[in-house]
Amino acid sequence: MYRYDEFDHAFVAARVEQFKDQVERRLSGELTEDQFKPLRLMNGVYLQLHAYMLRVAVPYGTLSGRQMRKLGHIARTYDRGYGHFTTRQNIQYNWPALADIPKILDELAEVEMHAMQTSGNCIRNVTADHFSGVAADEVADPRPFAEILRQWSSLHPEFSYLPRKFKIAVTGAEHDRAAIQTHDIGLHLKKNEAGELGFAVYVGGGQGRTPMVAKKIRDFLPAEDLLSYTTAIVRVYNLHGRRDNKYKARIKILVHETGVEELTRQIEAEWQALKESDLKLPQGDIDAIMTYFRPPVLPERPEGWGALAAAKKADAGFAAWVDQNVTPHKNPDYGVVTISLKPIGGIPGDASAEQMELVADIAEKYSQDEIRVSHEQNLVLPHVALADLHAVYELLLADGLATANAGLITDIIACPGLDYCALANARSIPVAQRISERFGAAERQAEIGELKIKISGCINACGHHHVGHIGILGVEKKGEELYQITLGGSADEITTVGEITGRGFSSEEVVDAIEKIVDTYLGLRTSKEENFLAAYRRVGAAPFKEALYGPVSRAA
Amino acid sequence: MSEATEQNGKHFPEKQLWGREGFRDDPYIEAESLEVAGDAPAVILPLAAWLGLDDDVRRTSNRRIGVFVAPGESIDPLLDKLDTVPLIALQFPAFNDGRSYSKAEILKGRHGFKGELRAVGDVLVDQVVFMLRAGFDTLEVTNPVALKRLSASDLRDTPGYYQPGRGSAKTAGGFSWRRTPAA
Ligand code: HEM
Ligand code: SF4
Repeated sequence: MYRYDEFDHAFVAARVEQFKDQVERRLSGELTEDQFKPLRLMNGVYLQLHAYMLRVAVPYGTLSGRQMRKLGHIARTYDRGYGHFTTRQNIQYNWPALADIPKILDELAEVEMHAMQTSGNCIRNVTADHFSGVAADEVADPRPFAEILRQWSSLHPEFSYLPRKFKIAVTGAEHDRAAIQTHDIGLHLKKNEAGELGFAVYVGGGQGRTPMVAKKIRDFLPAEDLLSYTTAIVRVYNLHGRRDNKYKARIKILVHETGVEELTRQIEAEWQALKESDLKLPQGDIDAIMTYFRPPVLPERPEGWGALAAAKKADAGFAAWVDQNVTPHKNPDYGVVTISLKPIGGIPGDASAEQMELVADIAEKYSQDEIRVSHEQNLVLPHVALADLHAVYELLLADGLATANAGLITDIIACPGLDYCALANARSIPVAQRISERFGAAERQAEIGELKIKISGCINACGHHHVGHIGILGVEKKGEELYQITLGGSADEITTVGEITGRGFSSEEVVDAIEKIVDTYLGLRTSKEENFLAAYRRVGAAPFKEALYGPVSRAA
Repeated sequence: MSEATEQNGKHFPEKQLWGREGFRDDPYIEAESLEVAGDAPAVILPLAAWLGLDDDVRRTSNRRIGVFVAPGESIDPLLDKLDTVPLIALQFPAFNDGRSYSKAEILKGRHGFKGELRAVGDVLVDQVVFMLRAGFDTLEVTNPVALKRLSASDLRDTPGYYQPGRGSAKTAGGFSWRRTPAA
């Protein structure tokens, strides 16, 4: 893991002082809310329906036990005893008092964390594959590059007042778990024929009211050019991105309106002038950052093979959990554990202070002191010996953290929606809870198989509904909350935006509608191996529309 | 409005020019054209008016003729004339319109513009460090809080930066992208 050096410590401390001063000026009235807004946003502080909200950055989703324990402590001391893990691998506190926020930032700084650039029109927290460094299908760990980007983008003088927020995601595997094509810049770390590291570069993905899949503008950018090329992209965007309409201000609109060829030409021209500048990365620096992410030395634990088989045989609940929530590690004696934050009927992404502390303890004892936050709002223990799985399971089970539903229909992503968010049209969380209850039976979920449901309370799409296999979007029609359904979205290496089925459903109807869709799928799949998305891609929307709206549907 | 004016009236003149060494006198006046500028020794013209001047007039005039560029205007037509521009004023119509930062970088960083680069418009204290690092030499300040903080040299800077930028130096042994404030 990356560790702060003196430079980072001093920087974050100074930043906390700056913000303390700004909060004092706000509390004393020297700053109006309007003047304070851009400053607090730079520090992750939003004003929401009921209170200020603080979003803390978890760079590329990687945490140590000590950091997780601190997050739990903050939840207990300054909030209502829980926190909310978000789709951007961050944690959000919904109830802190403004006057406490500087103290919270001080506490975060103690464990090398901060809330910088988790909001505002700047380069946001850089996200990465939550299985980075452990996934068996990975070419290289993308996090060293995410860390370089994190540093370089921190309080960037040129790029702190972009037309709109700017999100970068990095993956190091062919199978994209970081949804890079839905980001302003998506980077796919890979090797060329000579075995050198570089990136395929995607630009202009985004969700919101105009969802767009990013376009690839470079097949292989040498690693040493990462910062100069990123600078070129962001500079062209800063100069030419639209500022007259905030819904058209993301780089995706610039790509769309300028055309990808012309924009690529501009970026390449800018890059030619920057390529040999101070931004070129020396191999020594790349290596130095990579050392921080060196895989831990994992002791051989071959006894786990037999132990695991025996434990599975003895404990059906454990067996189901292993099958669903444990994925292969590079080291065959180990597994990668997904801790579901989606208990049946619960609030997606919420974790209590006690749960955070438990996960911290488990990570220290059983997972080389490492935890990940996934963009699917779950936690991950990246290095658990197969021999320890049963012990870990029992600990998780005792605190409601062993739901065996990773990737299944109840592993729902939902934004805060009308329960917290000032922009919402409709509730998201209660819909997620009801769907979860409807499909909660273990056999039923297993029968349905892989299915990603994603829910947003408005068109801003914080819940990624556009790229859900089934997406649910809260809309408002004549004062009533309605839910529009989209089908066939996906955020992996074949990213697609879902298609709207037709008229929306009321809160009472929406869960039944989801059930009709699921039943339709079960009836038409060729076998259990054909998952929902594959089936949808094969048959298209028609059978689903017919199930929802009857034979004389508007599909005709 | 009234509050600001009152504060200005009590403590500060309306508009002040500030640079790394502190407040300084501003010899320039802004004018729509040379004709209406009277005999002021230093004038800032809008980009179109400046570009409309005869090259000879610019080169041989005994007064300094600077140019004002709004964020939506391109600096490209200036690039081959930089040696004849004593001052470029880049505008921030609102503090969160960041286009002029990129132009400052291009002018100072890439083209080595030697004249005065000035930030005008909504210049607030919280952006001063960004402006200096992007390459601005002077800031035209009216905001009372900014004036107060700048008089006290209270910039709330960080002890280091994660990017190259003006007024900073590479530290030995540090990562290539990092800088510390120049002594
Ligand atoms: C509760 C307060 C929140 C507010 C007011 C808010 C506001 C917004 C807005 C206005 C957008 C659209 C931006 C655009 O298209 O330019 C957006 C997008 C987004 N938000 Fe939120 N959000 C909130 C909470 C969250 C949370 C909790 C998450 C994580 C679970 C989140 C994740 C996202 C993501 C991933 C997008 C990206 C969509 C894109 O790429 O366009 N937001 N948010
Ligand atoms: S999608 Fe809309 S309702 Fe949900 S959190 Fe984002 S802004 Fe709020």
